[in-house]
Formats: sequence, C-alpha cells, structure tokens
Amino acid sequence: MINRYRWWELVLIYAGMALFLTFMLAPFVEAFMVSLRPLAEVFRIPYRFFAEGMSFANYRQIWISQPMLGRWIINSFGIAVAVTILSMMCSIPAAYAFARFKFKLRDGLLSLFLAVSMVGAAVLIIPLYKLMLALGLLNTYAAMIIPGAAFTVPTGIFLMRSYFMRIPAELEEAAYVDGASRLYTMRRVILPIAAPGMVVVAITTFITAYAQQFLFALTFNSKNHLNPLPVGLYQFFGHQEVRWNELMAASIVGVLPVLVLYVFLQRYIVAGLTAGAVKE
Amino acid sequence: MGDLKLTGVTKDFGTARVIHPTDLQIRDGEFTVFVGPSGCGKSTMLRMIAGLEDITSGTLEIDGKKVNDLPPSKRGIAMVFQSYALYPHLNVFENIAFPLRVDRRPEAEVRQKVGAAAEVLKLTERLQHKPGELSGGQRQRVAIGRAIVREPSVFLFDEPLSNLDAALRGEMRVELSRLHAKLANTMIYVTHDQIEAMTMADRIVVLNAGRVEQVGSPLELFHRPVNRFVAGFIGNPNMNFLPATGLGTTPEGVALQIQNGPRVTIPVEGNVANGAALNLGIRPDDLRPDPDGLPCRVDVVERLGNSTVLYCVAPGGGQICMVTDGSTRATPGEAIGLGFDPKAAHLFIENGRALPRRHVPVDLDRIPTARTA
Repeated sequence: MINRYRWWELVLIYAGMALFLTFMLAPFVEAFMVSLRPLAEVFRIPYRFFAEGMSFANYRQIWISQPMLGRWIINSFGIAVAVTILSMMCSIPAAYAFARFKFKLRDGLLSLFLAVSMVGAAVLIIPLYKLMLALGLLNTYAAMIIPGAAFTVPTGIFLMRSYFMRIPAELEEAAYVDGASRLYTMRRVILPIAAPGMVVVAITTFITAYAQQFLFALTFNSKNHLNPLPVGLYQFFGHQEVRWNELMAASIVGVLPVLVLYVFLQRYIVAGLTAGAVKE
Repeated sequence: MGDLKLTGVTKDFGTARVIHPTDLQIRDGEFTVFVGPSGCGKSTMLRMIAGLEDITSGTLEIDGKKVNDLPPSKRGIAMVFQSYALYPHLNVFENIAFPLRVDRRPEAEVRQKVGAAAEVLKLTERLQHKPGELSGGQRQRVAIGRAIVREPSVFLFDEPLSNLDAALRGEMRVELSRLHAKLANTMIYVTHDQIEAMTMADRIVVLNAGRVEQVGSPLELFHRPVNRFVAGFIGNPNMNFLPATGLGTTPEGVALQIQNGPRVTIPVEGNVANGAALNLGIRPDDLRPDPDGLPCRVDVVERLGNSTVLYCVAPGGGQICMVTDGSTRATPGEAIGLGFDPKAAHLFIENGRALPRRHVPVDLDRIPTARTA
C-alpha cells in the first residue's frame, strides 16, 4: 500500500491513539504505582505520582499477610481452564451441527441460545442458587465451573459455527466418498482445519470465564480454600483499614498470567477474528 | 470392470423435479462426458451416481449390481471435485493417502500406492508440500491422485478444469486424455464447456433442464444433432438459426423460403407442409461469401490469425456468425452476401426436432473413438 498520509495527518492519528491509550492504560499504571507505595503515601494529599519510599516490598508482604493468595490464583486459573474445556466440549459439536445439518427449528434454536446469552448471569443468580442447593453442589468447584461454562457456550457456538461454515462442504463430501465416517472426518479433517478458530474461542472463553467467576464464587461458595482470586482479594479489606497497596499488588500478580497468555496468543486472536473477512 | 446402467432415474428436490426419468448405459472403459448449460442437472446426475444425492426413483447399477442404497465408498467410484477438495493441513502424500488411511491399509502398501500414483501424475517431487504451495494444475493432479489410489471401477469428475486458466485447461485436457488411455477406466466427466466435451469424450450426453437431449459420439452430435438445442450447444461458434417458411417436399428434399432471403432446397428426410414455420441451421464454418446469397452487413470482425470470425446483421435484424479465412479484408459496416451449400445445412421443424440429413461429410461409423483407437 502506498503511503497516503500527510505529516500532519500522521500527527493527528498518533495523538488520537495516545489519548485513547492513556484512557485505557491509566488505571493499570495507577494500580501499579499504588502497589509500589507505602500505605501512608497512598492517601497522601496532595497527590504525588512518584512517592517517597516506593519499593516492591508489598509484593513480598502479600504472601505473608494472605497465605492463601497462591491457592486463590491457582483456583482462578483452574476454574477458568475447566470452564473453557467444558464449554468447548459442548460448543464445538453443537456449532458443527448448526453449521452443517438441516433439522427442524435449527434457526430458532440458535436464536434461543443467543437470547439466553443476552440474559446476564446476575439475573439468574437466585434460581441458580436454588438449583445448586438442590443438587448439593454449593461450596464445590463444580458450582463455579458449570454455570461459568453454561454462560460461555452460546458465544462459543456462534463463533465456531461461523468458522465451520467457512470450511467448504466439498472437503467433507470428498472424505465421505473416500469412505470416512462423520467422526473420522471431524477428527482428521474438520478439527485440524478449524484449529485457529478453536484457539480464538478458547481464549475468549477463558478470558470471559476468568472475569465472570467472581459472581458465581461469591454466591455459591463460602469455603475460603475454594475461592478464586477476585473473591479472595476482599480479604485485604481489614476491619480497620483497606490495604490498597497490597490489594493492587495482589491484583497485578493475579492478572499477570492472563496477560502473558494473551501476549503470546494475540496473533491467533487477531488472525482468527479477521480470517475470511477478505479474499485471500 | 466399470459398467454403469441408469434405469428410469429421477431426482426431486421438494416438489421440483430436477431430473426427469433417465435411461443411460455407460460401457466399461468409456470416457463419457455430461454436458449442458448450468442448472441442467448434470452435476446432480453425477452426485447421484457418486452417492452424494439420493435417487428419488429408478435404479442405478454398477457392474450389474444395484447400488441405490450403498454409500459412495461401497460403489467402487472415486470422485474429483471442482474445487479439488484437498485437505489444506495435510501434505500431498497424506492427501493422496487419505482413502488408504481411512481403510487402515498397512504403511508399506500406502507408500507403494501413493508412490505409484505420484509417478503417473509427476508429483514425486511435491509429496512433502502442502496444497497451498502448489499451482492450480498440480492441485488438480493431487485430487486425481487421491482418486487413483482407490483403484475405482468408475472415475467421476465434476467440472475439474473450470478453476484453471485457459492455457492450463488445454494442457490438462490432454493429460486427462492420456491418463484415460493409460488407466482405461470408465470415466464420467461433467462440464459446461462443449470444447472439453468434444475433445475428450468417447460419448457425450447432452442434458438440458433435467432431460437427456442426445447421447452420441462427438462427431455424431456435431453432424447429426437430433434437435435445435443440441445443434446450438455443440460447435463453436454456435450454429446460426435462420427463420424460414416451408414450401413443400420434393424428391431432392424440403424446399423453403428463407425469411428476407433466397429460396433453397435442403436435402433432408421428412415431409414439411406448405407454409410451415421452420428453422434453418447453418454452422459458421459452412457459410461463405456469395454475392447472390443472403444480403447482410458486417458488424464486428474478430481476427484470430488462422481464421476470422465475422458477426453480421441479417436482413431481419438477427445476428449471423461466419468463420472465414484469416486473410479476409472484410471491415465493419461493409455489405456482404452469405451463401452456403444446402448439403451442409440442418433443418428443424416447429418443435425444434431436426429432420435427418441425407449427406453427412464423414462416415460416422468409421471414425475411431479414443477408446477403440
């Protein structure tokens, strides 16, 4: 592509991007700065960006003041991974069926799935609580994993369906003519081709699951050793004071694995979301 | 073996009948081409033979065995798709080996068969490449390789050359003819391109709107089309049709008056009533300049080098196409008289049916087909 911007247009574009990024990243920067300050400096008036006595001491302190922190992080990660696996095990076959088979009420069912995903989990939290109670699942990992998976399935179906629809039907017909069964075709042909799409869905599901586990954990769980990080963080709220600096340090430590994962996989995400948008 | 027999085969999609009752017999080793305009049902016919579409009624037999309800893999057929349908994540070797892998054949046999197919198709150098790294012609050959390793009794091709550019298409036509000569399998080939049909087929099946219009060797269809549709479809450029009025039948043939043109007598069999509406069919190659002929005006001149195509406007306003020698001096706008030898003309009565011609320039029974040669 030829360079068609004038110098002042480039300046405007970068200024716009800088403004946008400042807006997006300022909270993270501030969270990081708070995590470095001593507690007294956090509440200091007037505000100073670089405070006295800044150090990484809080990052050591958090493990001492909340010995369960490591467990919460592992819980968070584990719950999100379990949600992702369970959700994909449901959404991939369903999406394939929606993409390839003709059956009665197909379009209606698909709309229904989407409608369900529009109703937020918060609206259904009381009925879900009753359900978990009846099934005896309260205070278990299952109580946080199953609803998490259920609410991510519709988006998964929708994304995977459009991915499957882009795979030419002739590929399956060719495999069928060669004597391959539906399952063999799925395993040897469809899934390998859909792999980039599956990575995208897995990542978005994982991120959604990581973000939404707070609500389910808060409602369905009261066992501290089962808590995910977002709920556990509340224990930095003491009776007398809130240790904001440690809270921020713990939050950053908790978000870090997801961030690292995202950085490594982001090329898949961009490629997956835009694949097929233009003729290759 | 690869005998194929269709008896009263039909196909309905919902309430629409897309294939009307069809009887067709294809002999072992024959290269048969289904040709027709898009939507004529030729692909549906092929897919029914392949087992990708159900047969609504009638029976399909391969080697004397009814296969209506058998899955494709049990019919002894292999199919090559228009888009090649190569698996993009597998290399050429695994693509060709796919049917053998499905069948769980031993590794040694897979290697031997894929190697042999690659040899025939000149793909040995490419076995480790992914389909995305191959040219269109190579992809096409991989698709054919996948069909070959199954050792089918019948090969099915669904417009395999339509995704290639013109030069490559010509090359692949020759290669496919060679392959057929080498393998000697029954091949059924679907195309909308009458040149592919004429060049490769032992027998052509012309389809239109779900019906078989005519079955015959390429030259049979060219010289003895049974109706106006076949006459117009086979031959390039297309046959010219001139409206005419019958003047009665004489021992020499049918006398008629060409609209806005001369009177002629065409040597064909059959009776035509005085005043009957007729269509006179003349191939562009059979027209020649004749000052006493049909007075026309040259409209467009296409110079191809070895020949020149003149598109002329007939007195009634219709278009007439003529192929003449490459050195003609005709220019657009010029007046030209067009004449023809009555023996070369075709005559079609009201319902489009052709009256049998008395003179055909070649002895159709003595022209060898690719199979018998």
